[in-house]
Amino acid sequence: MARRIVFPTAEAWQFELEDFVRAISGGFLFGIPLLYTMEAWWIGSVTEPPQMLALLGVTYLIVFLLNRTDGFRQVRPDSPRQAAMDSVEALAIAVLCAVLMLILLRQITPATPLGEAIGKIVIEGMPFALGVALARSILQEETEDPSPAGPASPGPLHSLEPKKVAKELLKDIGATLVGAIIIGFSIAPTDEIPMLEAAISPPWLLAMLATSLVLSYCIVFVAGFTSQRQRRQQAGLFQRPLTETVITYLVSLLTAACMLWFFHRLGLGDPWFLWFKETLILGLPATLGGAAGRLVL
Amino acid sequence: MKPVTQTKPPRRQRPLHLSAESVTFAIASLIVAILVGLVLFIWATQSNEDPILAVNRNGDIHAEQGYYYVPFSVTNIGGGTAEAVEIVAELRRNGEVEEEGQQQIDFLSSQEEQEGVFIFENDPGQGELTLRASGYRLP
Repeated sequence: MARRIVFPTAEAWQFELEDFVRAISGGFLFGIPLLYTMEAWWIGSVTEPPQMLALLGVTYLIVFLLNRTDGFRQVRPDSPRQAAMDSVEALAIAVLCAVLMLILLRQITPATPLGEAIGKIVIEGMPFALGVALARSILQEETEDPSPAGPASPGPLHSLEPKKVAKELLKDIGATLVGAIIIGFSIAPTDEIPMLEAAISPPWLLAMLATSLVLSYCIVFVAGFTSQRQRRQQAGLFQRPLTETVITYLVSLLTAACMLWFFHRLGLGDPWFLWFKETLILGLPATLGGAAGRLVL
Repeated sequence: MKPVTQTKPPRRQRPLHLSAESVTFAIASLIVAILVGLVLFIWATQSNEDPILAVNRNGDIHAEQGYYYVPFSVTNIGGGTAEAVEIVAELRRNGEVEEEGQQQIDFLSSQEEQEGVFIFENDPGQGELTLRASGYRLP
């Protein structure tokens, strides 16, 4: 007689999805700087298969140790068996994120030889895996529920004073600026931005724009990191999830453009489309930094 | 007396509860297994050959604003990766080098192809044009 299989409930999938969005968000926060490093692409091109296997093994071991104390799931502490399973999942998430980003940045194309593509994925996947394993601790969700009636929690929109709305708005713009600058400063002065600009066509730029917005939204409003619940409850135009995501994206793009100008990567005499393309390319890490900034600050 | 046959009630098997975690773990294991499998495949099929570079003309020569554009492609048809690949183009007329150009390509993996263009002042159609790789470094 065939054994009956009971499939997971919709609620269980919801929890799982939240864990995964948290894992992906943590991975991107850690993995993005190395993605914008041409030496990492080159090292990926020349890495031999035994080195790749060793790197995968070392990454798994580090991620396993991190998963024993940190990890990306809400449950803690992790048992060795759970940590071993989560580490496999962390590696798989890291690999998928690295593949997505390497394709988006045109570092893996149909013309890329298989060995080179796999080398790049293994090298770039490592920081992603570390980010996944640290997702819970780097941007930890607060355990205590914010009291909706408490003096600190803002009320509904109509009861909010304009001064308070403006204060929240400025606070979020400031935090976005700081986060975008911290991540963008290490990437803006490098040669990678013009290199990527040369390789990316308009459809890929659109994909990059969409990825920036989706990741920013996920980090701040889905991943269950610090103060996410408070953010959802915050009133004011700027605090509506979609509005906040779009406005902070624009702030991050402006920050990226300023950094490119400050580091003499772009001048006022350069054509507008060069400004546009390079700003969008630097905009992705700057947006992720901005999202992290709003959560941490 | 008639023997009494006791029939055991069919034992009901406990249903198999699939957790969301076990499903995602299975998918994740598959992804990692594919990655490791691909690495092993590359290891098994890679040759110990040195890089071999083939430089070819890639498309027609065309003139733009008084200069002649010569597209080319370079392919590493050998085994290993070549670093700092030098490509030289020479335009000879009557046995003498009239014009020459050089380009460097950062990395060329096995079976990888890169494209570029040399620009000449003189018409390459009026002389003898040679394109070749002049060297590379091992990474």
